[in-house]
Amino acid sequence: MWTYDKKLQYPVKIKNPNPKLAQVIISQLGGPDGELAASMRYLHQRYSMPYDSVRGILTDVGTEELAHLEMVAAIIHQLTRNLSDKEIADSPFATYFVDHTTGAYPVAASGVPFDMKYVGVKGDVIADLNEDLAAEQKARVTYDNILRLTDDPDVRDPIKYLRQRELVHYQRFGDALRIAQDNLDSKNFYAYNPSFDKKR
Amino acid sequence: MNGNDCKALLKKIREIDFALQETVLYLDAYPNNRRALAYYQKMKAEREMAVAAYEASCGPLTMYGNVSATSWDWINGPWPWEAEAN
Repeated sequence: MWTYDKKLQYPVKIKNPNPKLAQVIISQLGGPDGELAASMRYLHQRYSMPYDSVRGILTDVGTEELAHLEMVAAIIHQLTRNLSDKEIADSPFATYFVDHTTGAYPVAASGVPFDMKYVGVKGDVIADLNEDLAAEQKARVTYDNILRLTDDPDVRDPIKYLRQRELVHYQRFGDALRIAQDNLDSKNFYAYNPSFDKKR
Repeated sequence: MNGNDCKALLKKIREIDFALQETVLYLDAYPNNRRALAYYQKMKAEREMAVAAYEASCGPLTMYGNVSATSWDWINGPWPWEAEAN
């Protein structure tokens, strides 16, 4: 089970609302490489993961991603505070506003709602951990792209923090893949799936 | 304790939690690293003290932390996603 800590992992305090920027950053809430996809991917890969060390990494990274999901939602929430009707009408955020007002709905920047199709759970150790390594890099690229689109220091600061966490998670998933490979039979490396096949 | 003292305490808890988060992920991959385990124990003790101080004066950090027997403080804002809480 989970227990909520009543604090953000890293503070979000944005002075200037910016609905156009919110509509871009929302991709890290409900987009293909966003924090919701990340959390769901790791937490659901745990059940077919045979190694305790890697079960721990999936649990703890998957949980941290929920804290990142909350940070991204806080950024969206604070960027869309106190907007006038005209500010909304003049912004590309108007198309989001008409369906969700200023609620935080997990959606990609392109407008596609969150989809579990973004999440890979193959039930195979090598396939799942390679998916995770790629996912962390794709999330890092998305944060890089967000940083290209804003010079507001109040927004850049938490986005840079989130970008850095992708790098740390990539390192730990690299450890996880090494641990998994150390447990595999080197003569039968890809033919045997320790999540499913019984050892003979 | 005033609001600024509570914000300073919360900042300290965040810093300790960041150190713990990094150490936990590292220990998951390297469970036999004794230096990491010693650091984990040190930061865990610091966290217990900081959380006790925070919850005694500023309000609950988790649903298990409502210190008062006469008022339900868990619901008191600002909530974490509001700028005023940060």
